[in-house]
Amino acid sequence: MSAVVQVRDSLARIAATDGQVNAFTAVLAERALARAEQLDREGRGLPLAGLPFAVKNLFDVQGLPTVAGSKIERDAAPALRDAPLVQRLEAAGGVLVGALNMDEYAYGFTTENTHYGPTRNPHDLSRLSGGSSGGSAAAVAAGQVPLTLGSDTNGSIRVPSSLCGVFGLKPTFGRLPRTGTYPFVASLDHLGPFARNVKDLAQAYDLMQGPLAEDAACAQRPVEATVPVLERGPDGLRIGVLGGWFQSQTLPPALTAVNRVAQALGTSRLVNWPEVDRARTAAFIITSAEGGALHLPDLRTRAQEFEPLSRDRFIAGALLPAAWVVQAQRLRRWFAEQVAASFRGVDVLLAPATPCTALPIGTEWLEIDGQRLNARASMGLLTQPISCIGLPVAVAPVWGCDPAAPHLPLGVQIIAAPWREDLCLRVARHLEAQGVASAPVAILHAAHPHQATQVPQVLPSA
Amino acid sequence: MDVERYADAAAQALGLPLAPEHRPGVVRYLQMVAQMAPRVMDFSLSPAVESGNAFRPLGPEDLSSPDGDGTQGAGS
Repeated sequence: MSAVVQVRDSLARIAATDGQVNAFTAVLAERALARAEQLDREGRGLPLAGLPFAVKNLFDVQGLPTVAGSKIERDAAPALRDAPLVQRLEAAGGVLVGALNMDEYAYGFTTENTHYGPTRNPHDLSRLSGGSSGGSAAAVAAGQVPLTLGSDTNGSIRVPSSLCGVFGLKPTFGRLPRTGTYPFVASLDHLGPFARNVKDLAQAYDLMQGPLAEDAACAQRPVEATVPVLERGPDGLRIGVLGGWFQSQTLPPALTAVNRVAQALGTSRLVNWPEVDRARTAAFIITSAEGGALHLPDLRTRAQEFEPLSRDRFIAGALLPAAWVVQAQRLRRWFAEQVAASFRGVDVLLAPATPCTALPIGTEWLEIDGQRLNARASMGLLTQPISCIGLPVAVAPVWGCDPAAPHLPLGVQIIAAPWREDLCLRVARHLEAQGVASAPVAILHAAHPHQATQVPQVLPSA
Repeated sequence: MDVERYADAAAQALGLPLAPEHRPGVVRYLQMVAQMAPRVMDFSLSPAVESGNAFRPLGPEDLSSPDGDGTQGAGS
């Protein structure tokens, strides 16, 4: 199929459905069609062959201010060039079609963005998409684009992947360059892809790999391609299920999802990591402090313009004692050593990605393990301890685990030792091939004319 | 820890005004983190345990191109 046809199909689907989903904050129709025409003329044979994609709006897109979900950054100067990961995908034949909604400055797990409106779950429009990369997961689930990029500091790729039912990959910390993206927590920020199938996910990931000398966090490793090994399956892999925290901080449907995956992989082996709750607390403190400090200048002068759902957390984070942050960073190192030792005896570990299926938008409280918890923060209970130590994780969506919401998915985290994204993706691909995990496009009807007028602004060519 | 007094003092030290409408939420969140913090602070670590953050020294070859807009177009 020509690039122009793929891009036109994508733009038509966005126009028809985004009034309901609200995944996009900018649609780059003119730029995308110009790029597609160029690809059809000159770009035959490129691996992505005109594949439309979109990015969380914290990625630099030439000619647009990088808003990162905020109102404040609307005043920022337009980006002079695309972020390197956007450049790499376009060099491989991808076509950027737009920018996607998110929690302001990535501080949230729900994408209930007050400035741009909530991104709704395409499989149930009354429910959360998850966050902070909610637009990235919802756009894939809604069939608007087959590929998106997002960021994950504490779970922001894995939580929306789980709630919207798409495949997601959070690579090892430092694997992909973060240059040209708006930061949140430098100690913990990762970037990664979302897709409807594991092959697209792995291909996009492979195409984005590679060193970037000026990047502050990129590990400068050579490309370690995963597509060539994708069909090897789980044979020979030692697979376990994470116990303890990862089973107590969940509701029964999430355990059903993990059990179904474990059964398909033929494992009943339980693995326990020590002090997971302390590691999660460490991530919480580091996030609060670094996030608050990053925005201190604006918090001093224009706090009123911040997202009301996260403003007070940013302010409080800026006030945390330094000793807490330093100890949290040391505890993180200690925890990474304990977990590294656990990988001497196992290759892949499984855990739920979220404690439950997508909650109704606006839900304030959730009861887990006999405790009444903040529902929004609880979405990251199971992802935070893993990103804290930078392990690679693929999320595989499993369906029909919640008898109260059989139409909704739940993601299972497939976790490996650092730099072994290949193992995560092999297992995810096997689950997809076996029919255990899948990412079907949500059934959405064309928007009512009134809703169609709410499609995000169509911006001129960048 | 008297969280309210701490919040006011720390905010003053940072030159960060706490608007009356923001102060209750800030105090509530600080109280929550203060309740969690002992899980980190009470955990005994050997002095040999280093920070989870590692620093990479930089040479001129590590800098972005001289004609560029820095390493971060966003937010700069």
